[in-house]
Amino acid sequence: MTGWLLRRGTDALLTTLCAIVALIALVQFLPGDPLTAIIGDHAVDATQRAALEATWGTNRSPMEAIGITLANMVRGDLGISLATQRPVTTLIAERLGPTLLLGALTLLVTFAIGLSLGLWSALHPTTLRARLIGGVTLVGYALPSFVIGMLLVWSLAGPAGFFPPAGFGDPLLAMEASPGAVLLDRLRHLALPLLTMVIATVAVPLRQQRAAALATAGQPWVLAARARGVLPARLAIQHVWRPALTPIVTLMGLWLPMLVAGAVFVEALFGWPGLGSLIATSTSQRDLPVVIGAGSLIVLLVQLGSLLADLLYRIVNPAQRDA
Amino acid sequence: MRRRTALNLLLLLGALGRVPLPAQQVPGTVVFAIGEDPTLPLPAITDRTSDTDLADQLFLRLAILGPTFRTAGDNALTPMLARRWQRTDPLTLVFEIDPRARWQDGVPVTARDVVFTWRLTMDPVVGKGRILMEPVASVEAVGERQVRVRFKRPFAEQLYLFSFNMQPLPAHLLERIAPAAIARSDFATGPIGNGPYRYVRRVPGQFVELRADPNFFLGAPTMARVVLRIAPDAAARMNLFLAGETDVMGDVQAPDALKIKERPDVALINVSHNLLLWIGINQRQGASGHPILGDRRIREALRLALDRRTMTNGIFGPSAGVPDAAQSQIWAWVTGGRMDGAVRDLAKARTLLAAAGWRDANGDGILDRNGSPLRLVMMYPNSSGARHSFALQAQAMWREAGVDVQLERVERAAFIERMNAGRFDLIIDGGNQDPTPSSLTQRWSCAAAADSASLNTLRWCDPTFDRLLAGAETAADPIAAYRAALARMASEVPAIVLAAPLNQVAVHRRYTNVQVWPTKSWLSLWQWRVRPDAALPRDR
Repeated sequence: MTGWLLRRGTDALLTTLCAIVALIALVQFLPGDPLTAIIGDHAVDATQRAALEATWGTNRSPMEAIGITLANMVRGDLGISLATQRPVTTLIAERLGPTLLLGALTLLVTFAIGLSLGLWSALHPTTLRARLIGGVTLVGYALPSFVIGMLLVWSLAGPAGFFPPAGFGDPLLAMEASPGAVLLDRLRHLALPLLTMVIATVAVPLRQQRAAALATAGQPWVLAARARGVLPARLAIQHVWRPALTPIVTLMGLWLPMLVAGAVFVEALFGWPGLGSLIATSTSQRDLPVVIGAGSLIVLLVQLGSLLADLLYRIVNPAQRDA
Repeated sequence: MRRRTALNLLLLLGALGRVPLPAQQVPGTVVFAIGEDPTLPLPAITDRTSDTDLADQLFLRLAILGPTFRTAGDNALTPMLARRWQRTDPLTLVFEIDPRARWQDGVPVTARDVVFTWRLTMDPVVGKGRILMEPVASVEAVGERQVRVRFKRPFAEQLYLFSFNMQPLPAHLLERIAPAAIARSDFATGPIGNGPYRYVRRVPGQFVELRADPNFFLGAPTMARVVLRIAPDAAARMNLFLAGETDVMGDVQAPDALKIKERPDVALINVSHNLLLWIGINQRQGASGHPILGDRRIREALRLALDRRTMTNGIFGPSAGVPDAAQSQIWAWVTGGRMDGAVRDLAKARTLLAAAGWRDANGDGILDRNGSPLRLVMMYPNSSGARHSFALQAQAMWREAGVDVQLERVERAAFIERMNAGRFDLIIDGGNQDPTPSSLTQRWSCAAAADSASLNTLRWCDPTFDRLLAGAETAADPIAAYRAALARMASEVPAIVLAAPLNQVAVHRRYTNVQVWPTKSWLSLWQWRVRPDAALPRDR
């Protein structure tokens, strides 16, 4: 196991490095002048432009830019945002909390609902209810997330609605408000973005789980257990669900990056102060240090997710452990 | 039942600490949404709208525009931080800082602050006003509170130029910090101003809270709290307003105005605005000059083929102007409010095109000349729904005139790059104009056309227009001179103006003494009041 972990870890590290180099290189070739983030819609004279280029390093060759950016990254320095003139690490740190909260809860709720409904659908494949669940969740998956979000805002938010239409918290809530009031406020603000994300994504784990469980349900050990009179709940969990978990583990690992960057549209619509909206804004402004910094974080998470998925896969599948 | 009890308990906990005040003493709160996180609310080194909206509450200008928004003359502005000013010769103005003015740490505001801020403004790396302040030759302190400003040449807007654009920063807190480090200093995250509001807190990506400074030297603000909520998406800003979570909203477009009018507690007011949208026509000269659009007849035909009034009504409503020259509503002191240009005349457009040699020889509905169809490409950024709507309508109307215009909707950064490189036939562009018509030189003069880094991306150059504009700077009657320059621009058609809208501002009806400014909307928030009988819980 240790040898496997070392080999797999080295692979992941090399892939991460290659991906970050590719990201930095590709960003250099994006159309658009990065200094636009600073200059905006104003005229600058030649002296000022030259000074800005020298200060912000936008006149470097791509190779030079890659080398300097990588060297700075190794020192933990992701550079300074052109648009806000603040350290990229600070900007990312400010936005990471709300993004992780929304992403983690989405993952948790989506998988909890998706796996349960998927297993239930596999055990009752011919029922009308199972077909309804499949159809409704598929409609949610087919609709763009911002459309779902707008429908939810229209129906559940507003002057008479309980849920606020946007934001992470009520700015008018007193600074000395009780933890209970703060918690309630956060939950109210979280409800609609979370519901949007869940509706838009629940079909994926549901269908994966349903397909895997359907394949397992016909296996001889399930028939044998049923013949032995094993209770339905135990049959479902121990004999059907557990062996059907392997593809779900892989899926879960691949979804980890969504924790960070999977909700750009939802963050925008709900004014959620997360990393997704930071990346979207920075890309449109050509704020390259932020794009590279946040992009590298996503690369790192993709690799970590993949590594974690492989590790979990080996844990739940003994055959792999021995391979 | 248990769940409901818990919920009631939480609501009760949330309500604790709020002490009801007598009806006559309503402190008042204004919440408005902005599109970006204002991380650098420091004048002189930022010009992002969100930053300047916030900075306007913290840092006073030397003077602000008067009720007519006139920019020419030495009596045109209203004193703020400067108590008075005096002209000593055609090149020199001396400002006197109000002796009552204090920074919020108690230190008096002095001439040294003005000199320090001017130097910062002119810094080539961080300064945001080098081009704007180019006519200023020197700024020096004359004693504790007097500042002498010398200009390079005489012109009628010297006072406006310096006093409206100068928002001093505290030298005693900043002059020991290198200019490039100010943006990352503690001061940038907790600025100390001299204006009506104190900076209380910023919650990243969410909001900024300001509280009235009771010691403000021009009088204690009548609005106790201002909250700027951050919502990058326009739909989110509208949803927040419709849900009653924000109190004011600017730049309301016609379709949203219909929704807002359904709310009885909200008033929609029209305010003069400096926004202008136009179709720019590429007129690069020389070997790379445009083969079709260099002909004035074609440009005029393109304008006459459009029913600009109908196009604009659908987006900005009938209050928007549709002038022929680049003039926004804020220049009403020059234009006298005349904002309607040529109306659609399809027959005349066809005649002009025919005179230029364009005829439909093959009967396909598209005009051609020497076997080549009259085909143009119009580019516009994908960030604007209004521009997309204008583009679709213009394409259909030009088609009726026999002009085939293909649309290219591109990402904003790519749009700017292609625009600066001149790789377009037509572009839908726009922006907020400076309060003074003299700023036309930045985008429409021959000097700007010769400068590859300037805003004159169309490379339009008309020496007659330049001469008329330059004449306005020193004319005894600048209004007549500016009008002549604008008329010249209208006749040469460097661009087809689509809209000069008014700023439709939605305001909750509980406010009184509401004033919204054309270029800096929220300059007078500190003088707004809340009607005690209509106060909301957030006002108490």
